[in-house]
Amino acid sequence: MSARLTILVIVLIAAFFVALGTAFTVHQTQQALVLQFGEPRRVITEPGLHFKIPFIQNVSYYDSRVLDLDPQGQDMSLVDQRRINVDSFARYKIVDPLKFYQTVATDTAFRDRFGNILNGGVRDALGQADLTDVLGSGRQRVMDQITTAVRRRAPEFGIEVIEVRIGRTELTADTTQATYNRMRSDRMAEAADFRGRGQEQKSRIEAEANRDVTVLIAEAEKQAQILIGEGEAKSRKILNDAQGKDATFYAFFRAMEAYRAALGEGTTMVLSPNSEFFRYFDRLP
Amino acid sequence: MPAAPIWRLLGWYDAAAYYPPFVAVLSSLSYNAKQFMVSSTARPLEAREYSQRRISLLIYKQQGSGPWGGGSGGNGGNPWGGRSPGVGGGSPPLDLEELLRSGQERLRRLLPNGFDNLRGLWLLAAVIIAIWGLSGFYRVQADEQGVEMLFGAYARTTSPGLHYWFPSPVGDVLRPKVTQTNQITVGFRGSEPSVSAVPQESHMLAGDQNIADVWFVVQWRIRDAGDFLFNMRDAEGTVKVAAESAVREVVGRNPLQAVMTNQRELIAQDSRDLLQTIMDGYGAGITILDLRIQKADPPSEVIDAFNEVQRAKQDEDRLRNEALAYSNDIIPRAKGEAARMVEGATAERDKLIAEAEGQASRFSAFYQTYAANKDITIRRMYLEAMQEVLGRSQIIMMDENAGSGVVPYLALPEIQRRTQVERPQVQGSEQ
Repeated sequence: MSARLTILVIVLIAAFFVALGTAFTVHQTQQALVLQFGEPRRVITEPGLHFKIPFIQNVSYYDSRVLDLDPQGQDMSLVDQRRINVDSFARYKIVDPLKFYQTVATDTAFRDRFGNILNGGVRDALGQADLTDVLGSGRQRVMDQITTAVRRRAPEFGIEVIEVRIGRTELTADTTQATYNRMRSDRMAEAADFRGRGQEQKSRIEAEANRDVTVLIAEAEKQAQILIGEGEAKSRKILNDAQGKDATFYAFFRAMEAYRAALGEGTTMVLSPNSEFFRYFDRLP
Repeated sequence: MPAAPIWRLLGWYDAAAYYPPFVAVLSSLSYNAKQFMVSSTARPLEAREYSQRRISLLIYKQQGSGPWGGGSGGNGGNPWGGRSPGVGGGSPPLDLEELLRSGQERLRRLLPNGFDNLRGLWLLAAVIIAIWGLSGFYRVQADEQGVEMLFGAYARTTSPGLHYWFPSPVGDVLRPKVTQTNQITVGFRGSEPSVSAVPQESHMLAGDQNIADVWFVVQWRIRDAGDFLFNMRDAEGTVKVAAESAVREVVGRNPLQAVMTNQRELIAQDSRDLLQTIMDGYGAGITILDLRIQKADPPSEVIDAFNEVQRAKQDEDRLRNEALAYSNDIIPRAKGEAARMVEGATAERDKLIAEAEGQASRFSAFYQTYAANKDITIRRMYLEAMQEVLGRSQIIMMDENAGSGVVPYLALPEIQRRTQVERPQVQGSEQ
């Protein structure tokens, strides 16, 4: 009884081991390589339950997803001798696990080797570009150039490079300092320009105001002269009209007025007794 | 290890967590088998992290020893120790006899009375299989989607609620949070009271080769759970790296001044679109909901110079305003002065006219009298005037016939002096 039970359990467990050694699953995110004593036998790209010969075959799994490769940023010189630190990253996919296994076998080894190729590609492309290319509209072109260069090396690793992008692009520390200095002096120049323009506006506005004042006063002066002239003309005309009626009488009339006004108090006069005033002085009419 | 209480064994939900004896044996063995089979795995599978409370053969990690787990606890122990060249055979191979004996011991203790050994074993097996089968129930929360996997392959997607799927190791369920909005901050960490800057992320070159300090926030959501889980490794990390790259690319096309001021919205919009394009290119199954620029400033090292420009602008305004104030002061004054002059002149004109009219009418009045009786009027006027004039004058009369032969002497200085002493106010004559 006990022996039968033991045998049954042993058989069950043995069967279980064989089953475990035979069946294996490939996850949706994976692809697999079946190896027989290290020699690749089959490539499995379909996820799900698969079988192999137990004990003598084993399975190597590879990611089937888009993978990231993000090597450290590197200092390099642009064509205009400017030093920058460029951080680039690639997104790739293992499309041929067999090739991948044969060339690098592990992810770590791949990162080392392909990371160098990527950095080399970035260096080559940026060595022919200047900062404006890296920054501005040329950026996409530079990235495409790197992608093309890196793609050429992809088949030997069994991968497909989806895209290479430039991430951080930084000026190196001393260039950064120089840039800060330039930014500062640019701003200072701008500030001086604003102040200068302020002074200019001030002077112009004040000068315009002064001119306006001068013109206003002069205009008023002119107006005043015209008015006074008009008054004088009218005045003379009125008088002429009145006095022109009898010039002789006017002369007499005006002379009398003038005498009254001109000969004031204490005037000393030397007169002859023959003058008109003394007409009756020593004789009667 | 004592066996778990029976009521716990019956609770399917936590069954796996308590290692009923057979599950423990099987899983430790299968773990070792797996170690043997998998000589090189590309990488652990993060997607699995979305599956909770499940034991997956693939990712099962031995946390503590099972009841007989002495030989299988670590990484080295495997039943075929010698045969696997890659994995070191640290522990001795399992003694199956010993293992089974102690297993029976414990089973007997679990099911004490009345049962025959074999029948007890079958019953236990049936119970365990039933518990295992029940553990296939799972619940999908409102913010989740259930992704059912059969032997690692995608089978179907389920909506929130209670569902059944094959339990591990046959089936597996991943439950990504699809309605959750995820947020990534670039350039800074933390929120309002305790924000810390990350300059290596935020400092970027603008198109005019100036350095800008840009902080931004990216919000994203899983658009397609299948794509998100299966198309890309570390999709979440990629969002961040790609967002930085996208913003840098767009900022690099614009001058600093534009980045700081009027182009900000446009830059955020362009960056969002570019980021979405990049993520779609990877088939990441992610929607970028929003990319918002939190701050776009010059770096702190040069901010004083930028502030100086602001001050200079203020100065410019101040100078202009001063000048305007001056202008606004003197021009109205001048207008007033001009008006005063014109009014004065008008008054002068009117005065002249009025005076002339006065004189004219006075003359006319005299003339009428004169015309009526010329001789008398003339004479009267003459005498009146003479009377007035001579009345206030000193008169020296000289008869030319009086002193012929004698030179008449007129003491002019004497007269002069006398005149000065008592000089009357001389009235200015008209005309």
